[in-house]
Amino acid sequence: MPEMTPVQTLLIAIIQIVLVIAFVFVVVPLTIFAERKVLGFVQQRLGSTRIAGKLRGITGLQNRFMWGMGRFPIIHYFRGLPGLVGDIVKLFIKEDIRPAKADRFVYLIAPCVSMIAAMLVYAMIGFYPGTLFTIPSFIPLIGGLPVGGTIADVNVGLLMLLGIASVGVYGIVLGAWASNSKYPLLGGLRSAAQMVSYEVPLTISMLTPVILAGSLNFNEMTRVTATGLSPWGVIPLFIGFFAYITCGFAESNRLPFDMPEAENELVAGYHTEYSGMRFGLFYLAEYINMSIVAALASAFFFGGPWLLPFGLQRFIPETAFWIGQPHWYIFAVKIVFFLFVYIWVRGSWPRYRYDQIMDVAWKYLIPMTLVNLVLAGIVRYFA
Amino acid sequence: MKKFLKTLIPTELAKGLLLTGKWFCQVMFSPNRGKSKLHIVDEYPEVPAKVQPRFRGRLQLLKDAQDEIICVCCMACIKACPTNAISLVAGKKEGRKTRIPESYDFELERCIFCGFCVESCTFNAIALNHQFELAVYNREDMAIGLGGVFQSIDKPSPVGKFSYSGKE
Amino acid sequence: MFKTQVMEINMGPQHPSTHGVLRLKLGLDGENVKSCYPIIGYLHRGVEKICENKAFFQGQVWTDRMDYCSAVSNNLGWAEALEKLFGIRVPRRARYLRTMLNELNRLNSHLVWLGTHAMDIGALSVFLYTWRDREKILDVFEAFCGSRLTTTAMRIGGLQEDVPEGFEKMVRDAFESVRIGIQEYETLLSENRIWLKRTVGIAKLSADDCLAYGVTGPILRAAGVAYDIRKAHPYAAYDEMKFEIPTRTEADTYARYLVRLEEMRQSIHIVEQCLEGLPEGPVMAKIPKTLKSEVGEVYHPTEAPKGEIGFYVVSEKGGVNPYRFHIRTPGFLNVQAIPLMLQDALVADVVTAVGTLDVVLGEIDR
Repeated sequence: MPEMTPVQTLLIAIIQIVLVIAFVFVVVPLTIFAERKVLGFVQQRLGSTRIAGKLRGITGLQNRFMWGMGRFPIIHYFRGLPGLVGDIVKLFIKEDIRPAKADRFVYLIAPCVSMIAAMLVYAMIGFYPGTLFTIPSFIPLIGGLPVGGTIADVNVGLLMLLGIASVGVYGIVLGAWASNSKYPLLGGLRSAAQMVSYEVPLTISMLTPVILAGSLNFNEMTRVTATGLSPWGVIPLFIGFFAYITCGFAESNRLPFDMPEAENELVAGYHTEYSGMRFGLFYLAEYINMSIVAALASAFFFGGPWLLPFGLQRFIPETAFWIGQPHWYIFAVKIVFFLFVYIWVRGSWPRYRYDQIMDVAWKYLIPMTLVNLVLAGIVRYFA
Repeated sequence: MKKFLKTLIPTELAKGLLLTGKWFCQVMFSPNRGKSKLHIVDEYPEVPAKVQPRFRGRLQLLKDAQDEIICVCCMACIKACPTNAISLVAGKKEGRKTRIPESYDFELERCIFCGFCVESCTFNAIALNHQFELAVYNREDMAIGLGGVFQSIDKPSPVGKFSYSGKE
Repeated sequence: MFKTQVMEINMGPQHPSTHGVLRLKLGLDGENVKSCYPIIGYLHRGVEKICENKAFFQGQVWTDRMDYCSAVSNNLGWAEALEKLFGIRVPRRARYLRTMLNELNRLNSHLVWLGTHAMDIGALSVFLYTWRDREKILDVFEAFCGSRLTTTAMRIGGLQEDVPEGFEKMVRDAFESVRIGIQEYETLLSENRIWLKRTVGIAKLSADDCLAYGVTGPILRAAGVAYDIRKAHPYAAYDEMKFEIPTRTEADTYARYLVRLEEMRQSIHIVEQCLEGLPEGPVMAKIPKTLKSEVGEVYHPTEAPKGEIGFYVVSEKGGVNPYRFHIRTPGFLNVQAIPLMLQDALVADVVTAVGTLDVVLGEIDR
């Protein structure tokens, strides 16, 4: 890698950030749309296929157009997409209502805290080990420089990632407290306890790939778990994966652990009093968190940008065409699969009670992950 | 030991996932507008909803073969109506022995579609037709009478007013 | 410096899981429910008073709108009470058809209950699956009565019309769907560890408490008391039907779930018996055009899906409308038991308790 001036580094980083933000803002709204569709299909419905509107006018034309689109394969899955656009537009132009006795400052920054914490984590996620593409040389100042697949390829990537991710709970707790309302307060208390509890088994379960890979660097961990894993290492990795995905569900507040916003108990939980784009930020943050958990699951446990997980990649020679090399879109496909699992689970299982969630964390997951950690250590020592 | 394994391996959760996954695949891979539909919803405004023959919709005054209102103003429907939704003024017409309604007012917002009026009618002069798309923008449009501008009580109502069906 | 105080929180009248406009005043200590006080009356329409001011036959439309999930059961109780008052004998065919409609209605009501209850606990898909099967039954109602929800199915002295064309096939198709459906609910819920955690031992109501509070229906049967008016005081054609009363002894939410599922199976069984043994004959008894009452009073209990629904009618001589009309609705008495069920409960259990009681505010507030 050639030496770069600070300005060049900054420019490259900005390019990377724009790319990641573009990726996030494509994937997240599509996840919201996919949630509607997948839940629809699971429940033998069609999901969203139309937008609310009259017979005539723009909405009427759009509805007619979407009805016509239903005739074509594949395209008919995307019939309701204008509805999603409408939702986003509505979130932006809706009046921003603030409760009279809310703590103004905290109330305003809480969704931003949630959102920023969620977005920052993406800096540590390596979509691709090494250079993604090289900037063509005719561009002044940064021509010929490589753009890496990771914004911040730091040695303690995982540590930083977990540190930043745990800030997200502040957004929820502060927002809940600042609303000065009882239902959000209950939701906030629940989420504080839940997320702090689940942070422990989540971190311990993530230590399994750390021990097996012997590194805290994101790309290094991904590479080792995909290519260099010993056959015995699969067992702790697999157990670690189940513990991790359970904790991940809890961390991103999804069914069966969606305590902070359990709809049928707490109306909407911590964001009951929020409206407009502030609610939208919470909403987006939740889905970004989902995609982060999915990204980490696919990176550390399912081989990330490599085709095959669990060290199976080493049987494919690196020189093999296409499948021998890592690709960022393989990683994306894996993320999409885990996002689908999220929605699938939501459509299938009931919700735990608050104290039972704590039971699951402290009585089952923490002992399990600790035992798994020892197992990983043994594997690492002898292999 | 068996119980421990059962606790450890969530087979019943997996079964639930398989069931929902089965429906997901079936609905996902059956075409949305195809003939073999596995989803349970109808795309209503485009595909007109079917109602059963006995369906009770809006009240309608029937006409005989000479295109004349059958009603003879016996007031049975008014007495039978639990919500007093019907009122009529009897009048006379040249060349007709029986009375004929001068005005027949049916207040849609009060009607509860019980069908008692139709049962009480011994002349088969009224019926509840199959119209169910009864939403209007103005309250005045709910008062349906003879020669109404928006909906006339003696005309079969335009069923599927809100439907626009693509050619299948 | 620090003091603890109970946080009062109003669950309802506008809340996603109080099934309408039930309001629960909860005193919370953190997540623990310290006190619970149900407040009703947000949907009061004065059904009893209206019925006193309308002709005998007109009262039926208000019974439709009491428990809107089980309109036929209300209609049946109302019709039989008035028939008892006037001393009318209903033809056998009409009694069979009434039984059949009533059981279809029980199926419908239990499906609604299962769907909403499961959704309260978080199982989203069960809700839609029950709605899928309920749709078929509502179609049967639409074909028979002309309306899906507010059926107005009965008439004093029998039924308005005989079975429509293709009725039997329609019912059997619906049952095929419901049978597969019940299997699906069992797969999704019965053994599901989360469902078990949320329901086993939750919202217990012992048999003694049930009897003390006048709680009837599946809640009483889940507590081990095999009291079912269909067997205890047979009405319609229930004395000619073979069926069992499912009971459990655990008296918790899970037991009620199992009891209701079994009742659904029994309902299918009863309707099939009715279809097979349907006698020929008229469906309407000969009654005078205007009913004029003698002095009398009747109380007629029937088994609605939610418990005992009783109609108490007092009439005066020559009256065209009842002198006094009182309805004992099951939900009204069942909802009193909520504070009792919520001892040592958490907030999430409130939702479970309300769901398992199967409250419909239309009949509680009347």
